[in-house]
Amino acid sequence: MTFRSLCVTLFFLAGVLADPAVGQSIDIEPAEPSVQVGEELQLEAFFVAEDGTRAADTTVVFYSPSKAVAASRDGLLTAIEAGEHEVIALRPAQDGQERIMNRFSVQVAPKPVDGVAFVDAPASIYAGTMMPLTVEAQTEDGTARDDVSVSVTSSDASVAEIDRLNRLHARTPGTVTLTASAEDFEATHTIEVKENPVVSLDLTGGAETARTGDVLAFSATARDEADEPVTDAPIRYAVRIDETGPIAPGASAEIGADGRFVAEDAGTYTVVATSGAHVAETTITVTERNPEGSIELVGRGQVSSVHTSDLWVWEAVDGRDYVITGTWGGNGEAYFWDVTDPANPTPVDTVTVDARTVNDVKVSEDGRTCIISREGASDRKNGIVILDCTDPNNVSVITEYTERLTGGVHNLFIYENHVYALSAGQRYEILNIEDRANPEHVATFELDSPGASIHDVWVMDGIAYSSNWEDGVVLVDVGNGVKGGSPSNPVEIGRYAYPSGWNHAAFPYDDSETGKKWVIAGDEAFPNGLNIDNEPTIPAGWLHFVDFTDPDNPTEDARYQVPEAGTHNYWVDGDVLYVAYYNAGLRVVDLSGDLKGDLYAQGREIARFRSFDPEGRVANAPMAWGPQPHKGHIFFSDWNSGLWVVKLNRPEKDRVSATR
Amino acid sequence: MRIARVLLLTFALVLVAHAPAQAQEYFAYVASESADEVSLIRFDGTEAVVQEAVPVGQIPVETEGAHGMTVSPDGEHWFVSIAHGKPFGRVVKYETGTNRKLEAAEVGLFPATMQISDVTGLLYVVNFNLHGEPEPSTVSVVETESMTEVQTIETGIMPHGSRLSPDHQKHYSVGMMDGTLYEIDVVSGEVSRTLKTGEGMTKPTWVQPHPSKPVAYVAHNGADEVVAVDLDAWKVTERFATGEGTSPYNLDVTPDGSTLVVTYKGSGETGIWDVETGTRRALVENTRGVSHGVVITPDSRYAFVTAEGVGGEPGAVDVIDLSTGEKVAHADVGAQAGGIAFWKMQAGEAASR
Repeated sequence: MTFRSLCVTLFFLAGVLADPAVGQSIDIEPAEPSVQVGEELQLEAFFVAEDGTRAADTTVVFYSPSKAVAASRDGLLTAIEAGEHEVIALRPAQDGQERIMNRFSVQVAPKPVDGVAFVDAPASIYAGTMMPLTVEAQTEDGTARDDVSVSVTSSDASVAEIDRLNRLHARTPGTVTLTASAEDFEATHTIEVKENPVVSLDLTGGAETARTGDVLAFSATARDEADEPVTDAPIRYAVRIDETGPIAPGASAEIGADGRFVAEDAGTYTVVATSGAHVAETTITVTERNPEGSIELVGRGQVSSVHTSDLWVWEAVDGRDYVITGTWGGNGEAYFWDVTDPANPTPVDTVTVDARTVNDVKVSEDGRTCIISREGASDRKNGIVILDCTDPNNVSVITEYTERLTGGVHNLFIYENHVYALSAGQRYEILNIEDRANPEHVATFELDSPGASIHDVWVMDGIAYSSNWEDGVVLVDVGNGVKGGSPSNPVEIGRYAYPSGWNHAAFPYDDSETGKKWVIAGDEAFPNGLNIDNEPTIPAGWLHFVDFTDPDNPTEDARYQVPEAGTHNYWVDGDVLYVAYYNAGLRVVDLSGDLKGDLYAQGREIARFRSFDPEGRVANAPMAWGPQPHKGHIFFSDWNSGLWVVKLNRPEKDRVSATR
Repeated sequence: MRIARVLLLTFALVLVAHAPAQAQEYFAYVASESADEVSLIRFDGTEAVVQEAVPVGQIPVETEGAHGMTVSPDGEHWFVSIAHGKPFGRVVKYETGTNRKLEAAEVGLFPATMQISDVTGLLYVVNFNLHGEPEPSTVSVVETESMTEVQTIETGIMPHGSRLSPDHQKHYSVGMMDGTLYEIDVVSGEVSRTLKTGEGMTKPTWVQPHPSKPVAYVAHNGADEVVAVDLDAWKVTERFATGEGTSPYNLDVTPDGSTLVVTYKGSGETGIWDVETGTRRALVENTRGVSHGVVITPDSRYAFVTAEGVGGEPGAVDVIDLSTGEKVAHADVGAQAGGIAFWKMQAGEAASR
């Protein structure tokens, strides 16, 4: 036997001897545990030895991997959600015996149905109209059991009928009793079908012609014999596609319950309003929006030795124009560029701090103070570094500030002598920098939802717009006055979250034409894996247009979504949106007029520019990070290739429209 | 049966320890915190190389912080703790050899060091909460097949240095900001004992039980010393001054129990101490500044030490020959190399499964 084989044999023997649990097991009683939501069940464990002897074993501990069932260590289960859930019984190693783990299922039954109910059913309805009904099977605490079917019948089908979707069709005046049934329970509701006073239906608003993406607001009014509006008469809208392009037309137009119409494709569409038997129509001719524009490359500041992060463009005290760019995964550097001649961005200074990533860079309104964020500091204190950039050719460090910011600052903003700096992705800290050598902490803003996380904050007109992944966008008064807030007393105004939980950025857009206050909430997601060094990355996500005009009831009305690409940062100037759409490059989008539906499909994109660079950090892999328009040019950073300067060329008529 | 197993393994390790050095290859996994990367290091007695670098982040444009490493007792899986999440960190399970990602468990804030108990089969990871409020944090207990956090046990402020007793019955960690050693009984799942290991802000960052004696060593990062705790008497019995500015950080003891290896984060060095005499036998300058983790090969022959570096510098893994006290090899890895776990040693051929 060789030395090596001797070692292998010994290790093998050790492995065999390490498995003495063979033939031993844990029994659980009851053997097939089941419990009802809200109730408890005590489990017992029994150790079964190799010889089959069985004895109660109090050394066994229980764990529940699922939050749907809580398990105490001694086996008391508390059922929280219905379904089949796994529970673990573990007998630790003891007395020379290896540990035993038994995974078993627990059936959790929902609470039983205790009744059936009509929800918000009306007392009356006009003859000739239809109304969906909401009926629920409910448990004793009023929880709806969606898994239990509910049927509804009418006592007199000649007065009112119920269809398979539990919609009520009122036929003739009279009184009818509706009966809802679920399992052994019934509930009744009496409805009066009234004579329908409507004799006519008007359809107004909108327009005869429109471009794709134009939102037309229609309004239908039901009237009685006196020509007075019948305000409680139900009105429904639909759109009929009369003519579109001949090749594979899709769902190319829509109209909402509020009468707002929009088309994605050119064609002829008829908007149909109905109230009972009354119908009103109007036909619209939609032409291609086709916003004219192109992007011209003006200049470059190539960075290929390290990834580039954010940028800021400003006119400095000397009257010249400069850009600061950050670096990602490098040596903690921020680069200063003279871009007075945008065709020749010229590096004029570099600041190096103890960090691996300078993710964010911002400049004060007076152009004298630059602040950069730190991540990956060797002392793990991170925080921010405040720079004197009065002369961007000779930038100096004023001070660093790390208190409550040691977890790393990913993003920050400067607004009216205050810094809003993210801390460890959990909150933002607000610092007064009137004395910029001695920043003073004045407030912390953190969401109170469990496990809340934040990614970015942007401040405009005294409102801080933060982006909080699953908690969505949150608006906070930090001086606007709408809620009496101030930097030292931030007060929440409203919030909006969406299901994906991808909220990464937010930018406000007050549209003076419509009076709407939009917040554009942007995603960031990488469902297609990571390619940092060698291949292009394919992110995902889009921009969500949330109408915050009523901050208590925000609604998501539109999106801009480029297929197979992912958004990053963006900027709105007038009615023009500039989006750094990662692998899709820079996109320029027309936001004029009201917004509804899919802006990309509507052809609102004015121009695009993809930042290919064969010498990039990852070659020929556009990864547009953030744009900023400045003095007629658009500056944007690209993660793989550095600083780009481009110019948007548009016909005069469109420029007027865009800047209004 | 367990005793027989231990005896056989010990005998096998003794044999391995006396094998010719050039016949062995050693493998360790290293986490690079600012690169979100885990590197598999192979050392053949002469040269250390990166056999594979595995990206372990989820968001390529954010640094999530790969921090702690451990390998399951059966060697089949490795685990890395990812410090930053949204906001909670996670422990991610991979298959050794193939380095294929399997499952992840969300745990607490800034999960750091961890180890799996042979007694329960559960993984114990300290939620370091390095950047949070100065309040007690927890040890998360993770069931490693489904990768689910099944329990949290409250301990101290900024717990670190998650290590098990040789019999895997007790779990030890230290509260960096409360100066306390915490002992958890893995069977009861409760804190069984606590001990203040010094006066003032000693900032303990690591606890390492001796492999065969009832002693644990605690690194006082803020006091430039390592203390020995008698686990039977439950008191500090010895203090070893490491030198001003050394800031001892991580520890390991050779399996033969003779040598304590201490990383000096402040001076970028590694101290090699004789356990019996309580004296330092050697001081090794690490390849990069900011020395961090250490793990010792099962044959007690080499220490693998990570050095973070600063800014754009790569991280490094230094291999130190403990018999000579000299650095014999190093390999550059991703930035801010920190957590390290030994995987296996085998006769001289490439790792394969």
